Amino acid sequence: MNRIIIQAVAIIAIFFGLYWGLSQIDWMTLFEVKKMTDTTEEKLGDLFWELYSKENTEINGRNAKAPLDSLLEKICKANYIDRKSIQLHIVKNDQINAFALPNGHLVVNSALIIDSENESELCGVLGHEVAHIQLSHVMKKLVKEIGLSVLISMTAGGGGETVKEAVKMLSSSAYDRTLEKEADLKSVEYLTAANINPEPFADFLYRMGDGEASSIKYLSWMSTHPDSKERAAYIVESIDKEKKDYKPVLAKSTWEKLKKYLEEE
Amino acid sequence: MTTQFEYVPGEHEAEKASNSYLMSLIAVIAGLPLPIINLIATLIFYLGNRNGTYFVRWHCTQALLSQFSLLFMNSFGFWWTVSIVFGDETVSNPYIAYMMTVFLFNVVEFIATIYTAIATRKGQHVSWWLYGDLTNLICKP
Repeated sequence: MNRIIIQAVAIIAIFFGLYWGLSQIDWMTLFEVKKMTDTTEEKLGDLFWELYSKENTEINGRNAKAPLDSLLEKICKANYIDRKSIQLHIVKNDQINAFALPNGHLVVNSALIIDSENESELCGVLGHEVAHIQLSHVMKKLVKEIGLSVLISMTAGGGGETVKEAVKMLSSSAYDRTLEKEADLKSVEYLTAANINPEPFADFLYRMGDGEASSIKYLSWMSTHPDSKERAAYIVESIDKEKKDYKPVLAKSTWEKLKKYLEEE
Repeated sequence: MTTQFEYVPGEHEAEKASNSYLMSLIAVIAGLPLPIINLIATLIFYLGNRNGTYFVRWHCTQALLSQFSLLFMNSFGFWWTVSIVFGDETVSNPYIAYMMTVFLFNVVEFIATIYTAIATRKGQHVSWWLYGDLTNLICKP
């Protein structure tokens, strides 16, 4: 009996010893796992954006780009995010929607900006999408829904229809509840660090969920992000009530000019 | 380790005992990557030969025990992989190290199983390190 115990302990020790020994080696670098994933993401991002921009008009006017850049810059700088890692695109589209594509492409529809009552509301949505990018939600969702092998074959030029499906999925369906909540709370964190009031972000969600906006024809961002009121509630709860030193990023006239410009576009 | 069994097994016994190991090998090929399949296959064979001769029962038990311990390692690896593919986990150094360890253990087990299947077919008695002693505890003449 003793011999069996000694032998069993020895086998378990060999197993864990081997595991411990092998885990000391940096396999990720050795197999270039990270490099490989980064290249795939880069290629997918460009591929998806290329396809999306073919069907939608990008707004490149300074009056639209500059204010949004300022907002994004402010969020990124306060949160030590490399601004260059995010590629902002404003697209002429009457659906209230914003979404992230791989490799940091952040797409904001003009209707969303027009519908935002103030810059803080827009910043909330931007922060939410930046969070999806920073927390690698985009690739996680793609791998989960489509599979890594298909994604890699896409980068090699395969699967035209699948690419379309993937873009459609990213632009018009939500992440799962935990990822959405994670992105919401991260957005509040980003905004707080950037001295932007996160409360309007909750107001925005609440307004959308309230049916007040039901007269608006296209409400993509809301229909794909269910339980808006519930989200508004936990966002309000997570806000630091003590903090009061919020400062506007844009001048009021710049904000008004931005909306007017997009309405006319 | 090849040792002398209590008696010289007959041709029919040797074939059945050898099959118990083959069972797990075939299941490895058919059941990958589901680790439970080989255990189920060996278990069915074990149950089928419960009333067999001592030599056959002994080897069925040893095959079953070896599959049983692999089940734990492989299941953990299997679910880890599932959570990477479908969940929020990502490929990491510990994961790669674990999969390599499991792979090495499976290879050793695979080779030992082939060797034992051939040896028992010839009527030789092969008692594995640890598993042989465990089998002696469970399986009585």
